[in-house]
Amino acid sequence: MSITDQDSAVRTERRTPSAADRDPARFLRRRRISDVVLAVGFPVVMLTLWQIAATSGWIDRRFYPAPTDIVGEIRRTFQDNPKGNWWVDIGISVQRMLWGYGWGVLFGLFFGVTMGMFRTLRVTLEPTLNALYTVPKLALIGIFLIVLGFDDKPLIAVIGVTVFFFVWMQSMVAVMTVPDQLQEAARSFESSRFQLFRHVIFPSALPQIFLGLRVSAGVAVLTLIGVEFVYSPGLRGIGYRINNARTVLDPLQAYVGLLVAATLGVVFVTVIKVVGRLLTPWSSNDRTVL
Amino acid sequence: MQSVDTERSATETDKIVATGVHRVFGGTGERVHALGPVDLAISDGEFVCIVGPSGCGKSTFLRMVAGLIGPSDGTIEFTTHRSGQSTSMVFQEYSIFPWKRVIDNARYGLDVAGVSKKEGNRRAMEYLGKLGLAERAKSWPDTLSGGMKQRVAIARALAVEPEILLMDEPFAALDAQMRQILQEELLELWQADRRTVLFITHSLDEAILLGDRVLVMSSRPGRIIADIRVPFERPRSNTIRTSHEFTELTSELWELLRVEVDDESAGTV
Ligand SMILES: Nc1ncnc2c1ncn2[C@@H]1O[C@H](COP(=O)(O)OP(=O)(O)OP(=O)(O)O)[C@@H](O)[C@H]1O
Ligand SMILES: [Mg+2]
Repeated sequence: MSITDQDSAVRTERRTPSAADRDPARFLRRRRISDVVLAVGFPVVMLTLWQIAATSGWIDRRFYPAPTDIVGEIRRTFQDNPKGNWWVDIGISVQRMLWGYGWGVLFGLFFGVTMGMFRTLRVTLEPTLNALYTVPKLALIGIFLIVLGFDDKPLIAVIGVTVFFFVWMQSMVAVMTVPDQLQEAARSFESSRFQLFRHVIFPSALPQIFLGLRVSAGVAVLTLIGVEFVYSPGLRGIGYRINNARTVLDPLQAYVGLLVAATLGVVFVTVIKVVGRLLTPWSSNDRTVL
Repeated sequence: MQSVDTERSATETDKIVATGVHRVFGGTGERVHALGPVDLAISDGEFVCIVGPSGCGKSTFLRMVAGLIGPSDGTIEFTTHRSGQSTSMVFQEYSIFPWKRVIDNARYGLDVAGVSKKEGNRRAMEYLGKLGLAERAKSWPDTLSGGMKQRVAIARALAVEPEILLMDEPFAALDAQMRQILQEELLELWQADRRTVLFITHSLDEAILLGDRVLVMSSRPGRIIADIRVPFERPRSNTIRTSHEFTELTSELWELLRVEVDDESAGTV
């Protein structure tokens, strides 16, 4: 509809399909390519700038080694050598982390789900858990050492306790916020309490629970490295080696360690994300590159 | 005009009897008297439509019959004769589970009742087919339109073949054509096996077309202010809409409701 007016120019508006509307398949294909280019391109550009800065002497290469230096260091030290084999440390660290994460998730889910479902339990435990939540977990290492002995167990316990609180809180809230409308729909079919849980409460909470699992996967890596800085049985582990590099003034090794820790984190978080996506196919997921 | 109906034959048993039912919402804070007192008797196999102003407690009453919430006072009794599920409900808002595919949603009541998956699928497909959704059996609910979701909810409620079917404005979200198709489908299903149906609607046409009786509720707190027997013969079809009695009945109901809505907007409780 256009209104003709002496003062204003005649205007017509048209709605036309965009290229994406015309051929959505082609659009999605191209967008996927551009997604990958952007996601991979950004770090590549940053690394290149870093490389140029280091080799041209804009930054002090002894403290900020060029990416190629780090790659060379990785090549040297990922095999047996006087500095020790990285693979062994990675293996040991991953094991500690998985045990800690596993226990944390197990207890976190159990307490989160049951406390979400049963009010009495929630009322009883929540204030205490909230209080414990704010205790710095790293400070517990001393107590765990005395109670659990001088092996991997105290380390695993610290990771587990840290992960526990993240999983517990997220899953409790997820279970509590299941829409009443959906619960009533299930109850109208005379579902038992367990059936209600299995068919409605749990699936409804699952996407949010996985968010908690993802966040705590990252937290598990952080805690692992942090604890290994102060306590690392057998003088093995990624965190130990990063810290050791500092004491022996070997920044290249520290950079390798950081790279290893970052890679471990990315891989672990991505695995949890992908598992979550497979288990919650109904929820619209953010599918950028991975 | 309430309850006892002289035309009803003595052999017919009362299926649902409500006596002195009230419902109040809110515990410590503000209390809302949503409904009551409601006294009501519905016989086996009757199709009862409920109309009333928005917020007068219609959904609340249905949820009480379904046993999802309890009455604050009074009792609702009903008798059932089969071992299966006694009531099933189609909700006003979308209530199908986003994490189950269409067929799994439709089969839900059968699953929890322990019916084998094979038999469950067969029955779910039967009702999905009747509601024109056979093609979408494998779809995720989020890919359906609003009206399609509502049809899945209807299929889910019908698939358990309950003795009492509770429907809370089930067709409100549908277009006029689909609404008419489903009204006829529902009438056909009901005429075939005469379940007891409690059907809430805002459409007076729909109430008269479908119901044996139309209950008119007052504004909140909802009470039954009229209980009108629909005189049309069964099987009915949409053609009755043009008859003189139909128009007369509609305006009678309209008048009753208008008074209630006026009351409410004037601030009288
Ligand atoms: N869970 C609840 N808590 C508090 N008040 C409620 C609750 N459920 C319903 N009510 C109140 O009870 C009254 C009746 O609600 P109900 O949903 O039964 O109305 P209705 O007749 O179905 O209305 P509509 O035609 O709009 O669907 C309303 O005033 C509503 O605000
Ligand atoms: Mg309602």
